[in-house]
Amino acid sequence: MKTFRSMVLVSSDPISMKRGAQDVFDRLQAEIKAYGLDEEVSLAMIGDVGRHDALPLVIVYPEAAVYGPVNAEDIHLLVDEHLYKGRIAVDLQASNRELSGKIAWLNTRKGTLPAEQRIVLRRAGIIDPTNIEDYILHDGYTALGKALTESTPIQVIDEIKKSGLRGRGGAGFPTGTKWGFVAKEKSVKKYVICNADESEPGTFKDRLILEGDPHSIIEALALAAYAVGADEGYVYIRGEYTLAQERLKLAILQAKEMGFLGQNIFGTAFNFDLHVHSGAGAYICGEETALLESIEGKRGQPRTRPPFPTTHGLFGKPTLVNNVETLANVPPILLNGATWYRSFGTPSSPGTKVYTILGNVNVTGLIEVPMGITLREVIAIYAKGMKGGENFKMAQTGGSSGSIIPASLQDTPMDFDSFGKAGVALGSGALLICNEDTCVVDLAKVLLNFFRTESCGKCFPCRIGTQRAWEMLDAIASGRATLKTLDQLMDLSVNLYNLSNCGLGQTAGTPIKDILTYFRAEVEAHIRLGVCPAGVCNTKEAVH
Amino acid sequence: MTKPKVASDWLAGCAGCHMSLLDIDERIVTLVQAADLRATPITDLKEPDETGVAVGILEGAVNNSANEEVAHRMRSRCSVLVALGDCAVFGGVPAMRNFFPLDEALRRAYIETESTDENGKIPDDPELATMTRARSLQEVVPVDIFVPGCPPSADAIFYVLNELAQGRKPVLKDEKLSWI
Amino acid sequence: MLNLTINNQPIEVTEGTTVLNAARQAGIEIPTLCDHPHLTPFGGCRLCMVEIDGFRTLQSACTIPVTNNMVVRTDTDKVKTARKFVLTLIFSERNHFCPYCQVSGGDCDLQNAAYGEGMTNWPLPPNWQPYPVDASHPNFILEHNRCILCRRCIRACSELVGVNTLGVEERGAKTFVIADLNVPLGQSTCVSCGTCIQVCPTGALIDRKSAYLGHEKNLDIQKTICVGCSLGCGIQVVSRNGQVIRIEGDWDSSVNSGILCKTGRFAPLADDRERLTTPLVRNDGALQPVSWEEALAAVSAKVQPADQVAALVSTRQSAETLHLFKHLFVDGLKSSMVTSLEEGSATTLPSQFAASKGKAFEGTLKDVEQADSFMIFGADLVNQHEVAGFFARRLMQNGALLVVIDTGENPLNNLANCALTPKTGKELDLLTGLMAAISRLGQNKAGFTGDAIAVMNAAAEISGVSTDLLLEAGFKFASTARPVIIYDAAHVQNLDVFNALVRLAEISGAKLVNPKGGANSLAAAQYNLDKPFRLNGHKAAYVVLGDEIPSERLVKALEKVPFLVVQASHTSKLTAGADVVLPVTNWLEQDGHYLNAAGQLQKAEKSLSTSGTDVRTNEEALKGLAQQFNLAAAGDWKAELLQRPSPVEITVQAA
Repeated sequence: MKTFRSMVLVSSDPISMKRGAQDVFDRLQAEIKAYGLDEEVSLAMIGDVGRHDALPLVIVYPEAAVYGPVNAEDIHLLVDEHLYKGRIAVDLQASNRELSGKIAWLNTRKGTLPAEQRIVLRRAGIIDPTNIEDYILHDGYTALGKALTESTPIQVIDEIKKSGLRGRGGAGFPTGTKWGFVAKEKSVKKYVICNADESEPGTFKDRLILEGDPHSIIEALALAAYAVGADEGYVYIRGEYTLAQERLKLAILQAKEMGFLGQNIFGTAFNFDLHVHSGAGAYICGEETALLESIEGKRGQPRTRPPFPTTHGLFGKPTLVNNVETLANVPPILLNGATWYRSFGTPSSPGTKVYTILGNVNVTGLIEVPMGITLREVIAIYAKGMKGGENFKMAQTGGSSGSIIPASLQDTPMDFDSFGKAGVALGSGALLICNEDTCVVDLAKVLLNFFRTESCGKCFPCRIGTQRAWEMLDAIASGRATLKTLDQLMDLSVNLYNLSNCGLGQTAGTPIKDILTYFRAEVEAHIRLGVCPAGVCNTKEAVH
Repeated sequence: MTKPKVASDWLAGCAGCHMSLLDIDERIVTLVQAADLRATPITDLKEPDETGVAVGILEGAVNNSANEEVAHRMRSRCSVLVALGDCAVFGGVPAMRNFFPLDEALRRAYIETESTDENGKIPDDPELATMTRARSLQEVVPVDIFVPGCPPSADAIFYVLNELAQGRKPVLKDEKLSWI
Repeated sequence: MLNLTINNQPIEVTEGTTVLNAARQAGIEIPTLCDHPHLTPFGGCRLCMVEIDGFRTLQSACTIPVTNNMVVRTDTDKVKTARKFVLTLIFSERNHFCPYCQVSGGDCDLQNAAYGEGMTNWPLPPNWQPYPVDASHPNFILEHNRCILCRRCIRACSELVGVNTLGVEERGAKTFVIADLNVPLGQSTCVSCGTCIQVCPTGALIDRKSAYLGHEKNLDIQKTICVGCSLGCGIQVVSRNGQVIRIEGDWDSSVNSGILCKTGRFAPLADDRERLTTPLVRNDGALQPVSWEEALAAVSAKVQPADQVAALVSTRQSAETLHLFKHLFVDGLKSSMVTSLEEGSATTLPSQFAASKGKAFEGTLKDVEQADSFMIFGADLVNQHEVAGFFARRLMQNGALLVVIDTGENPLNNLANCALTPKTGKELDLLTGLMAAISRLGQNKAGFTGDAIAVMNAAAEISGVSTDLLLEAGFKFASTARPVIIYDAAHVQNLDVFNALVRLAEISGAKLVNPKGGANSLAAAQYNLDKPFRLNGHKAAYVVLGDEIPSERLVKALEKVPFLVVQASHTSKLTAGADVVLPVTNWLEQDGHYLNAAGQLQKAEKSLSTSGTDVRTNEEALKGLAQQFNLAAAGDWKAELLQRPSPVEITVQAA
């Protein structure tokens, strides 16, 4: 397998192409050859990196130097300075301040910042996701090989249990325990499923794992299948993630060719087949039983539980369902050991978590940090503070089924137990940071709008309740509500939690409960004074 | 001890609930012995006492701004407000007009009716009340007692008024609780 | 057995019982909306929520299975609040106008649940968004304003009859019940079985004929048996003031468990033929009203000599009537041409075979209910004997195999895994080829002699069905555990084909089931009333038509008979050309026993009365006639029913 000392990437999205990225690429190819460096420097085009003001971009590894906007005339200088002489071509560099979140981490990964630790994302952006050899070079399939040849399934499960890994999809259920449930079922046929539906608004962590390191999921699923006794798996990817589906399908093909999937993997008696199943635009299919219904070709609607998927899952067989990020932790744990994994994070929540930072901050994007970091640290260190020096008002965690965190909880460690004790939820890891220009009523309204359109419609409390809740919030926002509406909303929130058939309905009332708990005065101002303190809601549009 | 005062009025209703009230027949003698009937659509006083009444009764849905005024006035002048009949309780028949745009409903009522000749005209005198969506009483003012039915049976009405007159809260159930 | 307590009451139940069924067993009321005892639990309405010790949230009683020592409470404040909450939401979702709904006032589960919680108002007002009304279907109306999306209708259409016309589109608050891919019901694949109407808890599904004709507490309900076909489904006849307003399936019947078809449920109410009210005798070319005495005398005058009267009886008549008919015309008048209107077409071959074997050989509807594969030989289960078709279809959607063999276009072809269409007259070759195919694949369970490949190829050549299809159908069918062959004896050409069918059943281990013909088709066969009808100089003909509609063929066949007596309930071309017409009861106005296709003897009960009229029961008319001829009393109808070997085991239905 070829190794290169440098990798050069050229952005190839439509805007870059319009601005001459192809010329840049061709020139690079020519110059690299001219300098005799084509055996040492690899050159490739990459997709959209999002820096629309500095396109076309050229990124050079391992320095992670970002050059842009680059045109063909600059190439000679770039190749001469950076690739030949080994110096950053400073004149061509894109300025740091304007970097968008998507590649912000490039500048942070050199360890200049405390605490960021890449486990799940250690290969994303570094390896070529369409090249299995690159994966193998970076410890790929080593964990699988070791487990299959040196450990029993029970030993694998024990290691995961010891590591304390908890589900990263939002529920935080101990992964090892879940694996144990499926493993102990006596059934000839079992399934493992990767839940890559990722439909929580603001969450795109799984996407990056699937696009940047698809083999890690294949390896993780194979390990899971070995551990629980399954021989077939599915990766359920939301329909909108076309690139992720493409990359994963290609990875599966390559893995099959090399024998990491199929019969007698690593020469053992273990067989494993993997399929990709596409979603079709329904958030509810992220709920595991609705996901199973969807794969079975039926309406994506949660089942009644009991029975649970661990005993009666896909096609009635015991099934393990895990989130992408959860699975991505499995190979490193098995490779480096549970003790190593526990060295990150907190005792109740070991390991790292990928957070997507969005909102009124200076730097948005993706970070992977040990569990236990606080919101204040995230905002200060990674998000580089509130934009324009504004004040932090609140954060919305975990996609829509998370919680609204007021400033008073900024210093609570972000792990499952600490958050649980504080009465708030971590969720899937999206962090929407809001300044004082965000109205809590408007935010709750947006979240309830999401819930009411995504509700599957099976159970009455959620189907009707989310609709009514949205209408009430709309009434508050437009100055038509009375104080009685707040009582009705609180009732709705409590009953949604007590009566709904699945997590969507159960957590739909959380935004309501949170704004009434932490921001009641602001909500009441809409009613009593007909005023929106944040200046967002049009409280005068009362219509009769 | 003075008898509790009772006043009633009707909004967008057919008066059927008041007719059903009259169907208590001779029990009206018992009623007026226990309570003081003040302003009603069938007595001479036009407005509920400014000094207040113990029980206010409203029939009919809230259909326009005039109904709103009456509803607010009754609410402010009574201790216990009773919504009488399906129209007051949930909107009833008038609420069916909510399925259609207002102008369509007005056209049907004033121009397209079978008995109207070509001179049909939607009234537009500025002194007229402004039409609104047909609403139940509780959407406009807080209501204390609901008496559903179209109309509520005379037995139910007598039971409610008698209980209130005796100072008790009526609890409708079994044959007295009917939504038809 | 598991133990639990509900509101401190100890109850013992079998494993797998839900908390709701445990409560029902103990007589404890838990209100439900989306649940129905004959449908799988849905867990959607959340009205049945209960408090269970050890559970964080309330649980839906309809779905949660009982575990040992469970402690359940249904009377706590939390539960009451939950119920009120669910009901409040439902009333705020669509437009529930109780004042003018046909089920309002006791027949609406939603209204009753609200009354149960003492609701005097709707805490949340609706937003008055209008929903459409689908009135395109001839038998019922779907009023979407009243629909609570409980999905009972959809589950019934799927689980009980396997037709799957109803479904939902969209999600969340936009969820909407639709037919097929959202077409008006009247243009959909709906088969008018009416099961959806029977299960709808609110007034959303409106049965056209019975709406507003009375609350159930004011109606007369009579359990009886449908005589629309030989399946003998249990029904409830709902009437008021002596008029039938609705027919429902009897959930307690072991034959059909509540399911009906359009023939049983709707056809009787659409019958608008004119009733015969008085005996008529032809005088001077026209039919004149006379008394029964005069009419019967006129008959006995002309119906001699005995063996020159041909007699026909409808298989819709009870066993008692059939027996009396046979006693009168065969034993009494010694007529040589006595048969049923069916002429034994659906029973002759099976009866012959049973006689030759000396015992019963057919399976029953229960076998159909438990089958995992079906082979249909010539039977039309979409237009006739529909309930048998429903049993098959609901199993097919869960994976049961369907093989159809029909020389014509069978309506179930498009649902079949394998549709075999042999050329007319070549069924024997096809069956032989099929058996050869089965033996070829090692599925030979009863031995096949001969060169299988050669036989198969010959069969394919002659019948026009490819060897591939023979192999596929044969292999798939014979590999299943509980195969059933449903054959229409009227479509079996001759005894050779019949014998081949029997052999095929043996080889594949299948049960043979024959739906037969009309209600008492089997009873008619048992009484030997199964000859083909042929007039041969007969001077008179006597037709016990009852309430059947005479076919054109029958009318034509009897045109030339010098003296025709018709015993019927309605006027028709046949009565118009008769010489004596005797007015008799229809099926609702008489009782009697019926032997269904599965061999079950059931009693049909009278639902309506004809007292005060000149109409007599079929039995009374025949007895009157017997008296005219001074005949001895008839024997025991039941004993005589059991004399002849029956193709299917005869059992007597428990009372």
